[in-house]
Amino acid sequence: MSNLCKNFTKIITQVATNRLYSSSYKSAISLDSLYPTSSLKLATPKKPPNEGQDKFTGYIPIEELDITYSRSSGPGGQNVNKVNTKVEVRFNISSASWINDDLKSKLLEKYKNKITKEGFIIFRSDVTRSQHLNLADCLEKIRSSVRSCVVVEQEPSDETAEKLRRRFERATRERLALKRTRSQVKSNRQTPLVNL
Amino acid sequence: MGSNTTEKALSMLRFLPRVCLSNIRPHPNSRIRDKRGRGQHGGDKHGCGNKGSGQRQNYMRLGYETGNNPFYLRFPHEPYYQRHHLRREYPPVSLLQLLKFIELNRIDHTKPIDLVSVVNTGLYKLLPDQRQYGIQLTDEGADVFNLKINIEVQYATEVVIAAIEKAGGVITTAYYDQHSLQCMLNTKKFFERGVPIPKRMMPPPDAIEYYSDPAKRGYLADPDKISEERLVLAQKYGYSLPEIEKDPSYDMLTERKDPRQIFYGLHPGWVVNLRDKAILKPQDEELLKYYAN
Repeated sequence: MSNLCKNFTKIITQVATNRLYSSSYKSAISLDSLYPTSSLKLATPKKPPNEGQDKFTGYIPIEELDITYSRSSGPGGQNVNKVNTKVEVRFNISSASWINDDLKSKLLEKYKNKITKEGFIIFRSDVTRSQHLNLADCLEKIRSSVRSCVVVEQEPSDETAEKLRRRFERATRERLALKRTRSQVKSNRQTPLVNL
Repeated sequence: MGSNTTEKALSMLRFLPRVCLSNIRPHPNSRIRDKRGRGQHGGDKHGCGNKGSGQRQNYMRLGYETGNNPFYLRFPHEPYYQRHHLRREYPPVSLLQLLKFIELNRIDHTKPIDLVSVVNTGLYKLLPDQRQYGIQLTDEGADVFNLKINIEVQYATEVVIAAIEKAGGVITTAYYDQHSLQCMLNTKKFFERGVPIPKRMMPPPDAIEYYSDPAKRGYLADPDKISEERLVLAQKYGYSLPEIEKDPSYDMLTERKDPRQIFYGLHPGWVVNLRDKAILKPQDEELLKYYAN
């Protein structure tokens, strides 16, 4: 007991109430000893630049998108009738600041089935039961469509093109030969026109 | 203490010859001399009996039960419950329940929320004896969650983290060992014991990776990387990241415990005297070193 008293001699009679959540305690495994070069502060990072080797970094400014929620289709009883889980995202391609101009023309051409008369491209999703996950799915669709425009298809070399042409011609020849033999078989089943 | 004898031993070792086969011997009584018995009691059949497989040294294999299905073959290996006694459990609290607690004034959202706040509502029970290690925040109510809070749980999925950060709050996942949990569950009872607050232990090897991952908002992760992950999640789930550094309650939202701390504002090693409304702090050097380790 006396040993305990010896070790705990310092007594504070009144707890300071103004600094209730003081972070004055620092152990050997505190964050500043684990990560000495870090700022240890939570901050909001800026968007990554679109220029350079990455034509599209994947960053989309959410404020520029027009997001609407509606009820999904399919089975589900009362829940599917009441909950707005279907997500529709639309934006104007020509006025989108986050897509490079060369990508814009490709997008307009490739996804013309999804583009309205006014030039708005529409992406819809009601694949999950959650609105958040459907929105994430829509954004993923947007990103994959933009990325598919970034990818440049390589044209085949002259030798490969020649190979492919010869293959195609041989296949056509075989197909027509097969057709001719079948046709002959069918006509052999008929009575001949001239009975000699 | 023991330092004197070790020093003496080390100084002796400097002059002794190198250890080799000729100057070591086995532990006493570890080797039994295999001596064939002689004389009236040890001789004649030398303990092997008369005829049969015993005297002819033609024994049956170990486990054989003279034909019937032996014990070691009766029960096939079905490891369905292997390590089940070691698996950790995290009883859930949904975001909707949390919202209800806050709106019904059971939890104060203007202060950091942790396991102690949730247990003090009286509506959440945690049983560490049944390998329950803390709160798991589930995503029911993620679409209606709109409060700015600083919460510390033991497990949360991506959707939950996104819902809390979308509302402008901060979520952290932290580990508490069983001993710390017992202190946290009934804090009044713990303080009445008059025992110094213990230090929180590090997570076990299979959990350390989870709690050091910035994507899971682990308490051992780098806060810079957590800031980057916040943007990643905002981009994934389609919301604009609110700027928390411009928030007036930024200090409250970024309030964090040290990895060895159990309670907010209380250091390990302190003894809290509720009756006299006093805190006793250790003065001894060795104790201070132990609690700061």
